[in-house]
Amino acid sequence: MSSESSDVVVETRNLSKVYRDFWGRQKVRALKALDLEIRRGEIFGLLGPNGSGKTTTIKLLLGLLFPTSGQALVFGKDATDVSKNERLGYLPEESYLYRFLNAEETLDFYGRLFDMPARVRKERTAELIKLVGLDWAKRRQLKEYSKGMARRIGLAQALVNDPELILLDEPTSGLDPIGTREMKDLILRLKEQGKTVVMCSHLLADVQDVCDRIAILHQGELKELGRVDSLLKLRDETEIRVRGLSEAAQAELRAFFDRSDASVLAMDNPTTTLEDLFLSIVRESEARPGRRVVKQEQQS
Amino acid sequence: MVLENALPPFDVWIGPALLFFGVAVAMLAVLALLAGYLVAAFRYGPLGGGDVVFRTLRTAVFDLFSMSPRRIAALAWLAIQESLRRRVLVGFGVFVLILLFAGWFLDPQSTDPASLYLSFVLTATNFLVLLMALFLSAFSLPADIKNHTIYTIVTKPVRPGEIVLGRIVGFATIGTFLLAIMGVISYFFVVRVVDHTHEVEIASLEPIANDASGAVTGRTTLDANHRHQVTIDADGVGSTDTVQGHWHEVDAVKDGDETTYVIGPPRDLYTARVPAYPTSLRFKDRTGRGSDRGISVGYEWSYRSFIEGATLASATWTFHNITPERFPDGLPIELTVRVFRSHKGDIEQGILGSLVLKNPTTGRTSGITTFRAKDNQIDERFIKRKLTDPEGNPIDLFDDLVSDGQLEIELQCLDESQYFGVALPDIYIRARDASFSINFLKSYVGIWAQMLLVTSFGVMFSTFLSGAVAMMATAAALVLGFFSQFIHEVAVGIVEGGGPTEALMRTLTQRNQTTELEPSLTKSVIQAVDSVFMFFMEWVTSLLPDFRRFSDVDYLAYGFDIPPNVLGIQVVSAIGYVIALSAIGYFFLRTREVAR
Ligand SMILES: Nc1ncnc2c1ncn2[C@@H]1O[C@H](COP(=O)(O)OP(=O)(O)OP(=O)(O)O)[C@@H](O)[C@H]1O
Ligand SMILES: [Mg+2]
Repeated sequence: MSSESSDVVVETRNLSKVYRDFWGRQKVRALKALDLEIRRGEIFGLLGPNGSGKTTTIKLLLGLLFPTSGQALVFGKDATDVSKNERLGYLPEESYLYRFLNAEETLDFYGRLFDMPARVRKERTAELIKLVGLDWAKRRQLKEYSKGMARRIGLAQALVNDPELILLDEPTSGLDPIGTREMKDLILRLKEQGKTVVMCSHLLADVQDVCDRIAILHQGELKELGRVDSLLKLRDETEIRVRGLSEAAQAELRAFFDRSDASVLAMDNPTTTLEDLFLSIVRESEARPGRRVVKQEQQS
Repeated sequence: MVLENALPPFDVWIGPALLFFGVAVAMLAVLALLAGYLVAAFRYGPLGGGDVVFRTLRTAVFDLFSMSPRRIAALAWLAIQESLRRRVLVGFGVFVLILLFAGWFLDPQSTDPASLYLSFVLTATNFLVLLMALFLSAFSLPADIKNHTIYTIVTKPVRPGEIVLGRIVGFATIGTFLLAIMGVISYFFVVRVVDHTHEVEIASLEPIANDASGAVTGRTTLDANHRHQVTIDADGVGSTDTVQGHWHEVDAVKDGDETTYVIGPPRDLYTARVPAYPTSLRFKDRTGRGSDRGISVGYEWSYRSFIEGATLASATWTFHNITPERFPDGLPIELTVRVFRSHKGDIEQGILGSLVLKNPTTGRTSGITTFRAKDNQIDERFIKRKLTDPEGNPIDLFDDLVSDGQLEIELQCLDESQYFGVALPDIYIRARDASFSINFLKSYVGIWAQMLLVTSFGVMFSTFLSGAVAMMATAAALVLGFFSQFIHEVAVGIVEGGGPTEALMRTLTQRNQTTELEPSLTKSVIQAVDSVFMFFMEWVTSLLPDFRRFSDVDYLAYGFDIPPNVLGIQVVSAIGYVIALSAIGYFFLRTREVAR
């Protein structure tokens, strides 16, 4: 267990957040008793409708917000500990960057915040600008950037320090189809390099493509947690794809499946789309509000 | 010069100042700890609260040691970029405009235009730079929090202290740059604006009565709103009298029968006197009895003491270290007295006074020198080595009147029912003159320190207040700082009329400030409320910088070299505030949820 726990990069215990107004009156219970463990090398997706608490969770992990109760640990340290930031990269929901700087200045500036020497910063800046495909606009002030361009420079900023853990809040929002594809490829590449990625997104297809595990939040409560492939598998159904099946053989198929000449191409449980799963969970949650017991993760 | 608040020498100041700093920091720390614990205990229970406070402190120590100059420099750079973006350079435009229209506000007939221009230009600079510091510092961090740009900063390994300090450093850099440029512009402005020359009105020249040497006297043309009297000796070398704080050299150039007169540029317009002050001041009352203080005439209660005219009352200063090596020719002394008239007399004439030099050991005195004193004007005189005693016998300044380097100067007022008010630094020996240009440069140190203070207060307040509120809080600190002496005086009861509640009641009941209130419960309650309030106010203001102490304008304008101890005190105390305010800002930012 101990060797395993050193592999836990992010851990939340009973993490809750209540937003209060100036007078301390309760406004919103944005997150209710969230328990999560995210391991090294995983791509973890946080899903949920608007206002379900995804951004709140990420902010709590970053120490931008303080938990009302419970605990958020990153690299085994409390989330409010500044030193964890050395190994972490964060892409905010919108690109909150200094609009009067250009791309190079921006990356150089964030590099300096990591105490990187000038030479390293220069190399890293050039490398990242190339990576996010902004070479052609690197001398333009960010206020002239389109949303997708701002997103790209935001991503570059999150990778300045070659972080081990990357938190991406809706990474593909505002990106064109090519950009989206590139972003997904990049996330997969980061995984190959052994990095841990936590992302939240509404674009379920994207999540389905890249995430190993997902958590679905609704109104601040965890509704579903597990591996994407097993979550989407319908265990009480079987799907068979066959080629070259004659009418007659089809009739025989049910009885003499093995003995037919047809070769079985695939025989599996059919998967639902993530979209269907998502919608059914949200509908069910709306029909029967309250905390839902999340099944322990099954290994596939 | 009316030096109201002489600052102590640096080495005398620094000890108590450090002690005060330590005590203030310790008291604030205890209060903050208590408040922090109460808040934490309220949220996490008594034990949890203690744990939170302990961990916050531990992190603070850790954060202090992991501060990185490179990160601070990066954040300072960002602050500078932001300031440029916010068009601080517009400040220059305003400044140049002010200078261009300066002529509108300034009286060209002034008796001392140099001083007027210097005060004006420096005050304008001071005001503009503080205003700029106020705006930049108070709005920067709140804007970052509001735009959420702070998210990308605090998710880097940036310590809250670095955010605070980086901003202070950045805005101070911009301020320094602004000050430097304004300084250069101002220097050329003041030097140029009073530069002028005259011509001798040949027709006015006539031989001096009862003078056989062949010297002539006359007057100059009217230029720059004034004219001088000229005196030219037989060799053709002359000078003008001192008008509007300056004089000119005059040269008569003979060319056959023709004589042309050349008048040089203004001299002594801008000076930086280095005074040697007396070390003590004693008084005698009207009956000739010695006392520490003279009498009070109702204002300036503490600083100047008054002596009554045509009585035995006198003021005696003692100088030390008067040696022939330092002053081979004699003593150039300068005296300023406040004149308080109980009847008008002849306003033009000035009040008659007398000076006597005295040997503190032997009691030997010089003869009486009389002079006419005008309120608050510097009276320059030169005490020669060869003097006479009251009987008219020749005596030597150093041999007969100085013993052990000590010399006494006694002042009396000779006009009946008139008064002279004096303080220790009102008389001094003009030991030497320092460079005006360097003095001009030095006068910016005070403004610079003020700019640093305002910036630090602005940034500190902006760690927990919104921009507009932070600006108002900083402005309030500035105003309270300016009036800290007044508040202190209200608190200790020197100011008549009591504290705010009492004053309000007096206003409502239409009683003036000096009427005794009849003893009653109301009175006791009001005064109790006031004393609690004033105790609090005094406590707060004693922590604030006394901004008037950061102004060097008077030194420069009145032509005095700014003493190094003044600059030292200004810079060191400003840095003390930067450290304390950064620490406060750190804790506020540290315990704040920036994503709210
Ligand atoms: N600063 C705030 N003050 C008060 N309530 C807030 C604040 N930020 C978020 N909330 C509330 O907390 C809840 C969760 O918000 P959060 O931003 O975490 O949602 P989200 O899942 O990221 O939504 P989206 O998909 O729209 O980004 C919402 O009800 C929101 O109104
Ligand atoms: Mg969100």
